[in-house]
Amino acid sequence: MRVLLSFLLLLFLVLASSAIRSSSSPVTDPFLGISPQDEKYYKSSSEIKCKDGSKRFTRAQLNDDFCDCADGTDEPGTSACPNGKFHCRNAGHSPLVLFSSRVNDGICDCCDGSDEYDGKVACSNTCWEAGKAARENLKKKIQTYNQGVVIRRKEIEQAKVGLDKDEAELKKLKIEQKILKGLVQQLKDRKEQIEKIEEKERLEKEKEEKERKEAEEAAQPGKGDGEEKTDGNEKVEGSTDGGEMPGVSQDDEILDENEHHDETGRYKDLDTDEESAAEAEPTSVLEEGTHNNPADQHVVETKEESPSSEDLIITAGSQHDGSTKKEESDEEEDIVSEKKEALSKEELGRLVASRWTGENSDKPSEADDSPKADEHENLEHTPTSPQEVEEDDGFVSDGDEETGDDGKYSDREPEDDTYEEEYRHDSTSSYKSDAEDDLDLSETTSSPTWLEKIQKTVKNILQAVNLFQTTPVDKSEADRVRKEYDESSSKLKKIQSRVSSLEKKLKQDFGPEKEFYSFHGRCFESKQGKYTYKVCAYKEATQEEGYSKTQLGGWEKFENSYQFMTYTNGDKCWNGPDRSLKIKLRCGLKNELMDVDEPSRCEYAAVLSTPARCLEDKLKELQEKLEKLMNQDQPQKHDEL
Amino acid sequence: MRSLLFTLSLLCFASQTSLSWKKEEFRSCDQTPFCKRARSRSPGACSLIATDVTIADGDLVAKLTPKDNDDQINPLVLSLSVYGDGIVRLRIDEDHSLNPPKKRFRVPDVVVPELEEKKIRLEKFATENDPPSSVVYVSDGYEAVVRHEPFEVYVRERSGDRRRVVSLNSHGLFDFEQLGKKGEGDDWEEKFRTHTDSRPFGSQSISFDVSFYESSFVYGIPEHATSFALKPTKGPGVEESAEPYRLFNLDVFEYEHESPFGLYGSIPFMVSHGGTGKSSGFFWLNAAEMQIDVLAEGWDAESGGGESRIDTLWMSEAGIVDTFFFAGPEPKDVVRQYASVTGTSAMPQLFATGYHQCRWNYKDEEDVAQVDSKFDEHDIPYDVLWLDIEHTDGKRYFTWDSALFPNPEEMQKKLDAKGRRMVTIVDPHIKRDDSYFLHKEATEMGYYVKDSSGKDFDGWCWPGSSSYIDMLSPEIREWWGGRFSYKNYVGSTPSLYIWNDMNEPSVFNGPEVTMPRDALHVGGVEHREVHNAYGYYFHMATSDGLVMRGEGKDRPFVLSRAIFPGTQRYGAIWTGDNTAEWEHLRVSIPMLLTLGLTGITFSGADIGGFFGNPEPELLVRWYQVGAYYPFFRGHAHHDTKRREPWLFGERNTELMRDAIHTRYTLLPYFYTLFREANVTGVPVLRPLWMEFPQDEATFSNDEAFMVGNGLLVQGVYTKGTTHASVYLPGKESWYDLRNGKTYVGGKTHKMDAPEESIPAFQRAGTIIPRKDRFRRSSFQMDNDPYTLVIALNSSQEADGELYIDDGKSFEFKRGAYIHRRFVFSNGVLTSKNVAPPEASLSSQCLIDRIILLGHSSGPNSALVEPLNQKAEIEMGPLRMGGLVASSGTNVLTIRKPGVRVDQDWTIKIL
Repeated sequence: MRVLLSFLLLLFLVLASSAIRSSSSPVTDPFLGISPQDEKYYKSSSEIKCKDGSKRFTRAQLNDDFCDCADGTDEPGTSACPNGKFHCRNAGHSPLVLFSSRVNDGICDCCDGSDEYDGKVACSNTCWEAGKAARENLKKKIQTYNQGVVIRRKEIEQAKVGLDKDEAELKKLKIEQKILKGLVQQLKDRKEQIEKIEEKERLEKEKEEKERKEAEEAAQPGKGDGEEKTDGNEKVEGSTDGGEMPGVSQDDEILDENEHHDETGRYKDLDTDEESAAEAEPTSVLEEGTHNNPADQHVVETKEESPSSEDLIITAGSQHDGSTKKEESDEEEDIVSEKKEALSKEELGRLVASRWTGENSDKPSEADDSPKADEHENLEHTPTSPQEVEEDDGFVSDGDEETGDDGKYSDREPEDDTYEEEYRHDSTSSYKSDAEDDLDLSETTSSPTWLEKIQKTVKNILQAVNLFQTTPVDKSEADRVRKEYDESSSKLKKIQSRVSSLEKKLKQDFGPEKEFYSFHGRCFESKQGKYTYKVCAYKEATQEEGYSKTQLGGWEKFENSYQFMTYTNGDKCWNGPDRSLKIKLRCGLKNELMDVDEPSRCEYAAVLSTPARCLEDKLKELQEKLEKLMNQDQPQKHDEL
Repeated sequence: MRSLLFTLSLLCFASQTSLSWKKEEFRSCDQTPFCKRARSRSPGACSLIATDVTIADGDLVAKLTPKDNDDQINPLVLSLSVYGDGIVRLRIDEDHSLNPPKKRFRVPDVVVPELEEKKIRLEKFATENDPPSSVVYVSDGYEAVVRHEPFEVYVRERSGDRRRVVSLNSHGLFDFEQLGKKGEGDDWEEKFRTHTDSRPFGSQSISFDVSFYESSFVYGIPEHATSFALKPTKGPGVEESAEPYRLFNLDVFEYEHESPFGLYGSIPFMVSHGGTGKSSGFFWLNAAEMQIDVLAEGWDAESGGGESRIDTLWMSEAGIVDTFFFAGPEPKDVVRQYASVTGTSAMPQLFATGYHQCRWNYKDEEDVAQVDSKFDEHDIPYDVLWLDIEHTDGKRYFTWDSALFPNPEEMQKKLDAKGRRMVTIVDPHIKRDDSYFLHKEATEMGYYVKDSSGKDFDGWCWPGSSSYIDMLSPEIREWWGGRFSYKNYVGSTPSLYIWNDMNEPSVFNGPEVTMPRDALHVGGVEHREVHNAYGYYFHMATSDGLVMRGEGKDRPFVLSRAIFPGTQRYGAIWTGDNTAEWEHLRVSIPMLLTLGLTGITFSGADIGGFFGNPEPELLVRWYQVGAYYPFFRGHAHHDTKRREPWLFGERNTELMRDAIHTRYTLLPYFYTLFREANVTGVPVLRPLWMEFPQDEATFSNDEAFMVGNGLLVQGVYTKGTTHASVYLPGKESWYDLRNGKTYVGGKTHKMDAPEESIPAFQRAGTIIPRKDRFRRSSFQMDNDPYTLVIALNSSQEADGELYIDDGKSFEFKRGAYIHRRFVFSNGVLTSKNVAPPEASLSSQCLIDRIILLGHSSGPNSALVEPLNQKAEIEMGPLRMGGLVASSGTNVLTIRKPGVRVDQDWTIKIL
């Protein structure tokens, strides 16, 4: 029955649309292109106002294929007005509003074909099929949302639990940290005490020994004098070391510092003795007064390394020609171009190509299809290529520009260290990047007695040590103190690190309902071609190919009310921006990274499906939409029958 | 300290792009022996005299010998030909009967065969005695004179004061180095950086002076990124270090915007213009490296000043003297005369005059589909989507990257369904890969350029090791053209067109990033002799290939970067790899004006600038100016951020959409202008003085330009500007394109230049046809009605033209077109047929809106004849583009006159 119904409906629609088709311009239906809600506006009177209030037009001027209103009010059903909008009803599917530029342009835009009525093109009515497909899709989407919303709710609950746990742990750790700190301090004090005593004992021993020796030597005259003298000499030297010298060197440093200020382009490297030989040159370069980029250092060095007479002539020539505003980058390129002189033809070709491409002219794609070229592509000739410098020499060359990029890297390094540490500790899933459950810590935290144990031990030790405060130190007791001190302070360090990592975690933005809590410490991977993309929430995103790893960016933030995750300040791109990644989040039942792309050079984009984005509001919206679509169909079916 | 340094290094990085032109990689005149020699010669050094003057084969011929031939130098042969319409051709070559070591290269296939039809076969010449000269009559009141001792050639007016127009060797700087035979111990090599030029025939350069009389400025000789009126390069007031204008086709990485340095193309054609309103021209057909000095007044102590004469020095490394003198006298006469020698520009397909969207690179089919749909989503029309080198399989042209473009035909068909075309790139360097069919075939057939030792020349370009097709040979060009057949170019469809890049040719590891001068072409022609024309022949071969592909029914579209005289016959060109800077936007106008003046009207600069990231304001302004470029394409380097018009926020999208809409609205006008250029050689984009030859205030204005005779456009070239000074020439008024506001002519006006638009005006006395409806592409505009905008002059008159054809085929050559002339006079608008009677094309298209600017208000109806119907006249909006002018700018509008565009009719204002 239902099949029959739809068949009849289809038949009707085909007939209806062919009726429309046969009609031609001018418009037969005076109200063509007007949305049902808007019909009143047009039907209310015989003189109609342009919606922008600029003018009035008569009923005859409505859809007469001549634009009267600048805003297109009078031509909803034709292409006459540039700013007009055409409404197609699309019975069986959802209505659509088109730019009037689409009306009678020979392309079927509305599934009911109502936008093409001048007879030049025959549009079949595809609304029923399209509508059906759209409804199916919508249903599927709703289904996903239905399930996703549940998962999301669970996630939120778990996040609460997790957060509570984290907070509790943090609180506990803080207390433990405080206690332990005290213990460690006590142990330290005691250790120092012991060491003082030991030192005293040692000195006494030495003294005794000395006296003993002196006594012996007194028996053999002449020898003791000399030794005393040397002793004295040593003392003098020592005092100069500690007194005058430091002062001098400090002055030096200040001077150097000033020099740096003056010459802006000079670096600590120059302070070292090895570099001082080269100082004359850079100064002369600097005297040109135009070179204030860190890479000058590099320039000078390279010049020294390429002493070919031809090069020199060319360099001289290029300095002569009065191009006073030569920029650093230019200089650098000069070096490159001078090096050109020494390049083979092929190297020269690659080098020049690299200006446009920003990479070795043998791109990966080429390398793939010509293994021969690959063989040529060894590293010998590439150091002049910017790409090479960027990829393999990045840190070295940045090191040259110490002051410039130093900060950036030194900022990152300690972090990297902790990451690595955490990775090492990570024994669980590869998804986890954070060592949330640091093994040692979990051990310590899980057993409530560990702190008490330590406390007890310390107490014992302290008491024990107290006993022999004045008596000679018992070697084994002293070792015990030391050992205990080492152990507890390393434990303290662990706790401190855990505390700071917890504090950091709790400061993160987990979303309005903490629905992104579970993202913390997780990475999502996607393999595309030869690359593996790895996105670690709240941390970093990378692109890996074999053993080489490129940082696409460090975690920045959520954007557009949690529709996007952004990673910025990734590895530098030659002639491009620093790499960055923007991930669109959408509702899905699993956390899944996909569609990684690079729409602009070094600006990456990806999609991550996640239950965290299955919002209840959105579900409601979708359901309403579906309802509307279903309802819209119902009455029509009745009408037609 | 740290932050200071960091900032500094950032600054340096930021400015890197603007200053990375590698000056030292290119030869200066001083490093170019022939240029250095020629420049150091002193006036009067030439001792050649003309003897044995006679008429032979319709030409005046003579021998040029040194006055005291102690050096035993062979005499040269001079021949002078005269063509109708004020054209004189002067050729000087070695005497072939004296068996020179080889024949010097004469550039073939540039001068159009039709020129011969205009030749006036000389039968006699007159002689004058003071000084001894031979005189021949040229048409139109001019005559050509060969003075014998020392030899000098010039064109002068026949009557009155017999004023000189153009002359050669008036200052005795002529020099012609004859080919040598290399003997033992001769060291003729020239070295530049690591490259050695073997120069087997020694020095063979030619140089001479050319003078233009009654001239304030000289123009032309592209391609340089510099001012339109050429600045002097030598003489008083010019820096000692100044370089001559160099004509040597080069692939220059990040070129500068103010430099006489040679770029991608060379057209040795110079036009002069002076206060008397007269122009003249001089063209040297020569494909070797050329250097041209514009000499500052007083450069030669001998010559007195005050003559308003401009002297120039022309130097070429090789070839022969094959020069043309154009007598003018009007600027449009000069360009027409030049066009009758090298041809007029090809009639483009309609789609090619729309907007082109390009990027290095649209990555894959999905990217293409995405960009295409975004244009629709934002209601921005465009006609062509472009694919750069990455679409190929490893830079093997005529192939597709099978991973990124698995279904190229389907992709093109999808675009075609919306009336849109695709362009793919095909360069002249062929990857040396034995498994590549093209390389295999070219190798087997011996179709590559050879190196000096006779082996296939092997240079480096995008694909790595590459060889270059020898385009000098007609046979090889024919073969190359065949590569574009649908069968040979797998994955191509009829909606695919071609882009020829890197055809200078660019050779990454060659001297000055091009081919060594001693490389060999067919017939033993040295590359030095043919260099500047290499890209031209390549362009020609590709263009002819597309004609073959379409069985002669489809007009080709091929964009080329390299240019040479004649390029206009084969397609569009663009100004190469510019930069996203305001100054590059500014210099695009003098560059395009120069190209138009020298025949190549279908030209444009990359919108937005190829290198770097334009700030949104620059990009918007660039679209606003670019909408009036004859060739309108956005393009960007692959290191740049995406910059399609919808990526900069709603407001900027709106502004860019509006700029593009403006272009589409004016397409009927542009198309009519392209036809005018196709017939007469008068460019679409014109300097103001071409329309107002007497107005000296326009002579060095290269910030404003005319589109046809009816529109004046003033670009905005500075950041944050909302005001502009615009000089409006002539005695008649100008109407603001946006709001119809009237401005008087002959005055500089200060006016608003809001972000919505750049100043643009319709000239009183003109009629401009438009199509006001917006579509996805020009294809869908076919049936849309026309709007006529009539701008009345002080005598309430105006006229204008409209040309229509099928927009794609060659049928227009057989008369299938509509050409109407609209004249408004005495309150009556008349549509007249100006096509020949046999012309036949019909169109259902109506004119549905006629806007009258400058008409006294009052009439409320019009009588349409022969329909004998009345049409309403009311106040309507003067719409231009999508942004509607503010209210209160309603103009007199004839509503729905219902007249057809292909018929005669009159409309009388009642």
